[in-house]
Amino acid sequence: MYTDHADAWLVEKCCESADDDAFAEIVRRYQRPVFRLVVSILGQQFAPDAEDVTQDVMVRVHHSLGSFRGEAKLGSWIYRIAFNTALNDKARVRYQAPHLGEETLAATASTDRGPHEELQDNRRRRAVLACIEDLPEVYQSALRLHYWLDTSVADIAVMLDAPENTVKSYLHRARQLLHSMLAQRGFDAR
Amino acid sequence: MHDDDAMNELLRETLAGDVPQLSPAFDAHVMQRLRPRRLAATDRVVMAAYSLAAVGTAAWLMQDLPIVWIVAALVIAAPIAAGVSAYGRRLAFGG
Repeated sequence: MYTDHADAWLVEKCCESADDDAFAEIVRRYQRPVFRLVVSILGQQFAPDAEDVTQDVMVRVHHSLGSFRGEAKLGSWIYRIAFNTALNDKARVRYQAPHLGEETLAATASTDRGPHEELQDNRRRRAVLACIEDLPEVYQSALRLHYWLDTSVADIAVMLDAPENTVKSYLHRARQLLHSMLAQRGFDAR
Repeated sequence: MHDDDAMNELLRETLAGDVPQLSPAFDAHVMQRLRPRRLAATDRVVMAAYSLAAVGTAAWLMQDLPIVWIVAALVIAAPIAAGVSAYGRRLAFGG
């Protein structure tokens, strides 16, 4: 139902006649990219909370739909709500569970090397994950979307509401910052 | 290897891992959260009986009072009841 209608029509239906089917179509259209964006902000250690946060985003979108003026695209408006909601929830979740999950490191550990190299690799991975947490939020999100969730630069640009070249520069700048942060901790990227 | 390429490779290795997936019934859960919650049939009967008893008792207690007092009581009590009800709905639906 309503799958062929434009976003603006769905918003009008929701606001004027409180049409549940129209809002359900908006949820179906945006649930996956919103979930990816939320996951990218929460990071690997808090990923299990991403579905609850995505639900909160959709409920917030529903309550605020009356204030959507149509000046931006519906998607950009929803992603902005998702970004802000996920940031607030991340601060709350991090306060409740401040430690980095060991399983995150174990899941990425290589097994075909000697114990010394493996230990060294684990240390470096732990350092990389810790350094990523210290980057500006928008860099963290761009990195996770690109390297973990395998999202294209074009799609990241839509989610972060930025031109593609800006996303490329976020990624480049993030790599540069990580390089120097790792060097300060005595690691290099090679 | 160029530093940027090496960092590219390191990030791919470090961030590789299971990608979380949304549960298939996600949209249904959201719509359920937004749907107004209705009382069960038994609860509705209890609420109706309580309301009738409350109105009956109030009328019986106020029968000998002057009409001005009754109007004043209604003027004070009605907005308080409406406020409490609205607050309760806001708590229930997270608006």
